[in-house]
Amino acid sequence: MAPIDPVRKINQTMKQPINQWLKRHLKGDPFIWAIMLLLTTLSILTVYSAAGALAYRKMQGNTEYYLVKHSLLILSSLGVMWVAHKIDYRYYPGLSKLALWISVPLLFLTWRYGLTLNEASRWLTIPVINKAFQPSDLAQLALIANLANMLAKQQRHIGNFQETLMPMLVWCGVICGLIALTNFSSALLLLLTCMLLMYIGRTPIKYLMMLTAVGIMVGFIAMCAGQRGATALSRLKVFTQDKLPFQTEQAYIAIATGGLYGKGPGNSQQRNFLPHPYSDFIYAVLVEEYGLVGGVVVVLLYLALLYKGIRNVSQSNRAYGGLLSAGLSFALVLQAMVNMGVAVGLGPVTGLPLPFVSMGGTSLLFTGMAVGIILSVSRGDIDESIDELQEQRTTLKNKYK
Amino acid sequence: MAFKQTILLRTRIAFLAVLLFATAIVAKLVYIQSFQGTRWKNEAEVAGLAYRPIKATRGNIYADDGNLLATSLPFYRVALDPCIVDETTFQEQIVALSQLLANFYQDKSAEAYQHLVQSARQAKCRYLILNPRRIDHQAKKAMSQWPIFCKGRWCGGVLFEKVEKRFHPFKDLAARTIGFINANECGAGLEYSFNQDLKGLDGSALYQKITGGNWKKISDGASDRTVRGCDLETTIDINLQDVAHNSLLKALQASEAAYGCAVVMEVKTGEIKAIVNLSRTENAQYRECYNYAIGNQGATEPGSTFKLVSMLALLEETSVALTDTIDTGDGRFQFHDRIMKDVKRGGFGELTVQEVFEYSSNVGVARLIDEAFGKHPQKFVNYIHRLSLSKPLGLQMIGAGVPFIKDAKSPGWSSVTLPWMSIGYELKITPLHTLTLYNAVANHGKMLQPVIVKRVKRANKTVKEFQGTVLSKKICTDATLRKLQTMLEGVVERGTASKFRHGFYQIAGKSGTANKVVNGKYTNDTYASFVGYFPAKSPRYSCIVVIDSPQCYAWHFGTAVATVVKDIADKIAAKDLAARDFIPSKGSPDVFPLIRAGYREELLQLCDALGVAYHKQELDVAWVRGILDGDHIGWKANEIPKPGQVPHVLGMTLKDALFLLENCGLKVTVQGHKGGRVTAQSLLPNTRSVHGKTIALKMG
Repeated sequence: MAPIDPVRKINQTMKQPINQWLKRHLKGDPFIWAIMLLLTTLSILTVYSAAGALAYRKMQGNTEYYLVKHSLLILSSLGVMWVAHKIDYRYYPGLSKLALWISVPLLFLTWRYGLTLNEASRWLTIPVINKAFQPSDLAQLALIANLANMLAKQQRHIGNFQETLMPMLVWCGVICGLIALTNFSSALLLLLTCMLLMYIGRTPIKYLMMLTAVGIMVGFIAMCAGQRGATALSRLKVFTQDKLPFQTEQAYIAIATGGLYGKGPGNSQQRNFLPHPYSDFIYAVLVEEYGLVGGVVVVLLYLALLYKGIRNVSQSNRAYGGLLSAGLSFALVLQAMVNMGVAVGLGPVTGLPLPFVSMGGTSLLFTGMAVGIILSVSRGDIDESIDELQEQRTTLKNKYK
Repeated sequence: MAFKQTILLRTRIAFLAVLLFATAIVAKLVYIQSFQGTRWKNEAEVAGLAYRPIKATRGNIYADDGNLLATSLPFYRVALDPCIVDETTFQEQIVALSQLLANFYQDKSAEAYQHLVQSARQAKCRYLILNPRRIDHQAKKAMSQWPIFCKGRWCGGVLFEKVEKRFHPFKDLAARTIGFINANECGAGLEYSFNQDLKGLDGSALYQKITGGNWKKISDGASDRTVRGCDLETTIDINLQDVAHNSLLKALQASEAAYGCAVVMEVKTGEIKAIVNLSRTENAQYRECYNYAIGNQGATEPGSTFKLVSMLALLEETSVALTDTIDTGDGRFQFHDRIMKDVKRGGFGELTVQEVFEYSSNVGVARLIDEAFGKHPQKFVNYIHRLSLSKPLGLQMIGAGVPFIKDAKSPGWSSVTLPWMSIGYELKITPLHTLTLYNAVANHGKMLQPVIVKRVKRANKTVKEFQGTVLSKKICTDATLRKLQTMLEGVVERGTASKFRHGFYQIAGKSGTANKVVNGKYTNDTYASFVGYFPAKSPRYSCIVVIDSPQCYAWHFGTAVATVVKDIADKIAAKDLAARDFIPSKGSPDVFPLIRAGYREELLQLCDALGVAYHKQELDVAWVRGILDGDHIGWKANEIPKPGQVPHVLGMTLKDALFLLENCGLKVTVQGHKGGRVTAQSLLPNTRSVHGKTIALKMG
C-alpha cells in the first residue's frame, strides 16, 4: 500500500503563508510532526486533569501550577526536537559516543549520591540551573545511537565476535547494569530494545542468546547490589498472584467506567485513587476520560510513529540512518506499549512513563531529542560539507597508504 | 543490497511483534470493558475509598539547656473486635484476659469484664471499647502479650488506637508560658503563639472502608507524608524556673495572696530566664492559670516602682541635683481636692531628691513632678511614650497586655492625674513592662525587647532565629542613668527595700506597694512588688516579683516578695560561685550523639541491643571513642592513661569517668545534669596528675 505522499499534498496548498512557514521550518516527515502535536495536546489535557489531585494536596489547590509547568516542558521538548532535527544525522555518531562516555560516571554518581524519590535515587541535580534530571535518559539515548553506529559500521563482518560483538555486549552490559542499580524495569526494557536493534542489524541469533545470558548475569548482580531488587521481585510476585494489586484494580475501574466514549475531559474519578495518575497510570485515566476510542487512537498513534520511524530503514541511503531511526522508534514505542500494557494489566506494575504523554520533568526533553533525531534521519543528508570532508579523509588516507 | 533486504525483513518482523502486542492491549481494553465491565463498575460504587488525614507529630519545646519542656507522647485507647478470635481460643482464654483487665484498670471486677466481652461477642458487635482510659506505650507493650491480645489485630481483634498527648516533664513549671492548644486550635502561651511552627504539616493517606466501620490504610495507595513540626528552643532556665516557682509558691501560700508572678531576665540579651505565674484556685491551691506577667489581666497600677519613670523624666527635663531638697512636711499634701499621704506616719520632713526616691515618699515625688511638669503635663506623658511603656512590647506571645496611659488631652485627665501618675497610679502597665524598663537601666540605658523563644529548629537545623530588637538605644543621658543607678542601689542599701539586701550580691531595685482599686474605690488590698537587678555594679540579671493582695498582715509591704527575690538571687549566686575555668570540649557538637566514649565491651553490647551499626574492627584496648563514619560507628582507641596522668574522659558517662578518674587517685566534683556526658574537664588530659587533686567535671 502506498499512502498519498503528504509532501506533495502540502505542496498543492502551499499558497497559504502558514504552510510556507511550516515547510520552511518543520522539515522531515510531516506525519511525525502531526503525531507529536496530537500526542502532546492530548498529554496537556490529560495531565491537567490527572494532576488535579496532586495539585490539590500539594499546591493548595493551585491546579494551574502543574498545567503551566507541564506545558512549558512540552514546549521545550518540542524545541529540543526542532533543534535535533536541524542537525544532520551523520553528526550523531560522534555526539552519542561522547554522551555515552559521560553517562557512565553520571550513572555511577546517581547511584551513590543521587536524589532519592520513592526509595530509588534516579535523579541528579544539575548545578547552576538546579533542575533534577535522570542520567538514565541520556544513557539510553546514547546507547541506542551508538549501537546503531556500531552495527552499521560492522555490517560486512557482523559475524566477527571479537571485533563486532564484544564492544556491543560490553556497552550494553555496562549501561544496562548501571541503570538496573536504580531502575530495574527501565534497564530491562533498554536491554530488550538493544537486543531488538541487534536482531534488526543482522546479528546472528546465537550471539543474541549470548547477550541474553549477559543480561541475566548483569541483572542478577544489579538485583543484589542495587536498590530495586526487592521491589522488582515483590512486584513480580504480586503479578503472578491471583489477587490484583490495588493499582491495577483501580486502573480496571477507570477503564471499565470509561465506556466507549469516556466520561469527557476532566471528569476522571479514579485519578483521585490511582497512584501517579499523571505518569505511570495516565493511560487508565486517558481511557476513563476519552473512552475505548481514545485508548485505541493513542495505540494507533504510537504504531504510526513506529511505522514512520522504521520506514527510514528502507528510504535511508546508509544503514546507520535506518538503524538509528528504527532503534529510537522501537525504544519509544516499546516503552509506550509497556506502560499501556501495565495499565491494562498485561504486565507487572512498573514505573515507566508513557513517552510524550506522562508528566515528567527532563525525560520529556530526551524523548523530544529522540524524535528529533528520527526526523533528522527522515530528512536524509542535509549538510553537504560532511561529504566533502569524507572525501578529503579518504584521499588523505590513500595518500599516506 | 542483500544486507538491506535482511534488515528490512527483520524490521518488519519486529514491527509485527509490536503490532501484536498493541492488539493485545486493545483486546484487553475491550475485555475489561465488556466482559468484566459490570464487576468493576460495581466495585467503583462500593469501593469506599477516602483520603483520611494523618496528624503530624507536634514539635517539642525545649529549655535553654535542651531540657524538654513539652513533647508529644503516644497514648493508646484499647478496643476489641470480639468476633474475630476463634471459639476455642476465646473459651480458653477469656477468663484469664478478664482477670488481667480487671487488675490493670481497677475499675470493674473480672466477671464484669468477662460479661462485657461475651455479650458483645454474642451480639456480633464488631467494636468494643474496653476502657476509655488511655494507656502509655509501656502498658501497651505489656498488654500485647496478654491472652487473645497476643494474636494481634487480625487474629485477636485487639485495637490500640493511638492518640498523641502533650506531656510536660516538669509538670507545672512555666505551664502557662508553655501554654496549650486544644482541638479547635485555641489556646495560650507558646503552644498557641507558635502553633504554625510546632504543628508541622498534616499528611493524608488513602484508606479503604472495611467491615465494622473501620478504615484500613492502603499501603500501596497514594499518600502525602506528614512533616514533623519544628522544635522551639526557649530561653527558660529550668533550674531558675524551679527555684522561682517554689519560692513564689511558698510566699503565696503563706500570704494567702490572690496571685503572684516572677520574671527573671538576662540583662545583656533581654532573654527571659524564668517566668512564674501562680494564681489561687478554688481549693486554695496555686496553679499556673494565667500569664499575669505578660497578659492583660496582669496590667495594673504599678505603684512605687513607677517612680523610676518620674525620676528619669525629672532628671532629664530639669537640672535638679540629687542633693537638692524638698519639704515633704508631715506626709500629707493637698493636690487640688485630694490629699496625698506618705506611708510613714508624721512624714519625712525635709528630704533630698535622692532620699525622696530611697524612702519612696509619695509626696516628695508628686511635688517634684508637679513643679516640673505641672504646666505641661503632656511632656511627662511623652516620656512614658518614649520609654515604650504605652504599647505592647511585641513579645513573641499572643495576648500580650496593652498598657493604659492617659494623655493630657484625653477626657479622663483631671487636675490630680499628674501627681498620682507620678507615683504609679491612674495608669496600667504589665509587670513585664516594668521589668523591661529596669533592665534597660541595668543595661547602660539600652532597652531590649524581651525574648522568650531563641530558635525554631527542625532536627538540628535552625529554621528561624530570634533576637530581641532594641526598643531604644539610650533611654536617657549617661548622667541621668548614673543618678538613677545610684538611687536604685540606695533603695536597697538604705531605703525602703533594705530587706532585699543580699549577702553575695549587691542588689539594686525598687519595691512598691500599691493600693488596689476594687469597684472604683481604693481598698486596703495591696499589690506588692519588687523590681531590680543584680549584681548592682555589673548587672547580669534583672527580675520582678509581684504578689497581689496578700492577706496576712505580717506579709504586707513586700516581705513575701523579698523572700522570693532573695531565693532567686541565691540560686544565681550559687551558680556563679561554682563557675570555674573549664577546658572546652574539642569534639564538634554534630558527631554521632548516642555514643561518644566509654568502655568498649559495654558499648558494643549497647550497640547490639539497640541495633546501631558499627565497624567490627579489632582493637585491643578497653576504652574507645565512637566516631561517626557514614551510617556506621567507627571506633578509635581512647588514649590509655599512663600512671600518673590525667585520663581523657570527655564524652563519657559519669559512671565511666568516675571509675577512671578515681582510679587515678583524683577527687571528682561534678556539675550539671548527672545523666549527661562529660563536656568539660578542669584538668587537661594526659597532663601529670597528683594524688588527691580535685578535678571538676561539667556534665551536659
